[in-house]
Amino acid sequence: MNSTITLTKLDVLRVLRNTRYLIFAIAMPSVLYIAIGNSTKQTNGVEFKAYYMLAMATYGAFAGALMNNSIRIATERKTGWTRQLRLTSLPGGGYVFSKVVTSLVTTIPSVLVVFALGGTVFGVHMDAWKWVANAVVLWLASMVFVSLAVAIGYRFDPETAQPAVMLVFFPMAILGGLWFPLEGTLDKIGKWFPTYQAHKLGTDIITDGKISMESVGIIGGWAVLFAALAVVSYRAAQDQ
Amino acid sequence: MVGAPAAMVSLTAKGNAGPTLKGMPHMPRQTPSPQGAVVEFENVSKTFHSPKGPVHAVNGLTMSMQAGQTIAFLGPNGAGKSTSLNMLLGLSRPDSGRVALFGGTAAEAIKHGKVGAMLQSGGLMSDVTVQEQVQLWAKLHPRPIPVSEALKRANIADLADRRVDKLSGGQQQRVQFAMAIIGDSPLIVLDEPTTGMDVENRQAFWATMRERALEGKTVLFATHYLEEADQFAERVIVINKGRLLADGTSAEIKASAGAKRLSFRLPGVQDAALYRLPNLVHVERQADVVRLQTSDSDATLYALLDAGLRPTDIEIQPLGLEQAFLAITAEDNNHSGGPADGATLEAAR
Repeated sequence: MNSTITLTKLDVLRVLRNTRYLIFAIAMPSVLYIAIGNSTKQTNGVEFKAYYMLAMATYGAFAGALMNNSIRIATERKTGWTRQLRLTSLPGGGYVFSKVVTSLVTTIPSVLVVFALGGTVFGVHMDAWKWVANAVVLWLASMVFVSLAVAIGYRFDPETAQPAVMLVFFPMAILGGLWFPLEGTLDKIGKWFPTYQAHKLGTDIITDGKISMESVGIIGGWAVLFAALAVVSYRAAQDQ
Repeated sequence: MVGAPAAMVSLTAKGNAGPTLKGMPHMPRQTPSPQGAVVEFENVSKTFHSPKGPVHAVNGLTMSMQAGQTIAFLGPNGAGKSTSLNMLLGLSRPDSGRVALFGGTAAEAIKHGKVGAMLQSGGLMSDVTVQEQVQLWAKLHPRPIPVSEALKRANIADLADRRVDKLSGGQQQRVQFAMAIIGDSPLIVLDEPTTGMDVENRQAFWATMRERALEGKTVLFATHYLEEADQFAERVIVINKGRLLADGTSAEIKASAGAKRLSFRLPGVQDAALYRLPNLVHVERQADVVRLQTSDSDATLYALLDAGLRPTDIEIQPLGLEQAFLAITAEDNNHSGGPADGATLEAAR
């Protein structure tokens, strides 16, 4: 276990140093929020600056969870890093464990940075417990994409993992209503996406302090699907 | 005595050699595998399935290595070296036969820190420093030597704060080397360890390896640099087409391959007269100059003189391990119908 923790610590450190991570998971949502979010008009029952804060926090967390591990796992399998680790006392599942924990940890700053901007720069107000509940809910919901990242990382080469990630990333971001609020047909399609529902959990907490079971159900469904994909690709890769 | 020229063996890469003779047979020395062998292969086979059909990468390989030996593992490309090393390290499983490390499985040996390895296909981390990378490896082994010591031995103490992914190939190779020795493991396995290193670092590398060997560690290395095998290995194992081809000291392998080159000038000599000479392995002629490869240069020379011939400019030179290696693998390929699928004589450069 000690060796797994050591590997995990270093894995977290290197993600925090990584430029791609900083751009996609921290800088981009912050910049978008500052550029677009400053409006007090009502959207889905909350002020737009709160609405867009939740959208950008969800976006940063999900982008971080999805992008880092998928490309990293694919690359590290290709370069032989995962083989190297098999020549140490690291337990069999230690590598994947480290990657999952790294995602859990490195999605936290995405949420916190955007929330801090909302609370200070834009003066978003809500009860203290709602801030905490929102942060935890968005963070947990973005975890759906941790297992999808593992699935992609074990299924694709570094070259093909990138487009595979983008194929998931854009629909999830756009149809999840994270970049702009959805209306009409797009909204009807979007509500089946986990990103949409994660964001909705946030606005629900602000408006009536409740968590919708429908949202949890849809996110849970995706979680099960992605976890199954992760297990299948992981197993297939081990047999090679 | 050599009989009729039964088989033709071309020893030169471009295949423009003159008439050649097959020389003495050489059999792999069957090493007994007593208790306590560090590495044991018992009739190990591994077949890969490609669209063109099955490739028998390793084909009934039996060998064993004792504690404290420094062993070079040689073979042409496609001979099954990497496949063998992968099975040795437990990275892939044999289809049949038995592979044992320290009498148990590779996984057990690795878990107990008994193996330090440097893989050709071994990746490194990105976004970490050399110090962090080697430090991690120290933590992933039960009895590590100090990180500073490993960096010093690998000649990368000055690179400690550099990012691993920003290093040159040769520098990364030295990081791999530090990782291979940090565990202070009794068995060190090195796959093409000095590829990409400059002369100075290569010498430093082998000096360090020699110290490890003096500590009683078993060092197994695959290499394309046959001079390195000649200089540093007390034992050389040659495989070809997935089988053991030769096993012995460098001197024994040179001897078995016909390790002397006898050359002289002899105008107008008949080929038939040359073919009658004993102990020949290979014959080459360029006009008046004759170059013979012989397993017993004295006997060959005496026979030449006894036949009444009086050559001039006589020179007898020992052959290097490289020529010996080429000779025995070429002869083996000739014997059993060409090299294995995809195999090339890379050393023939």
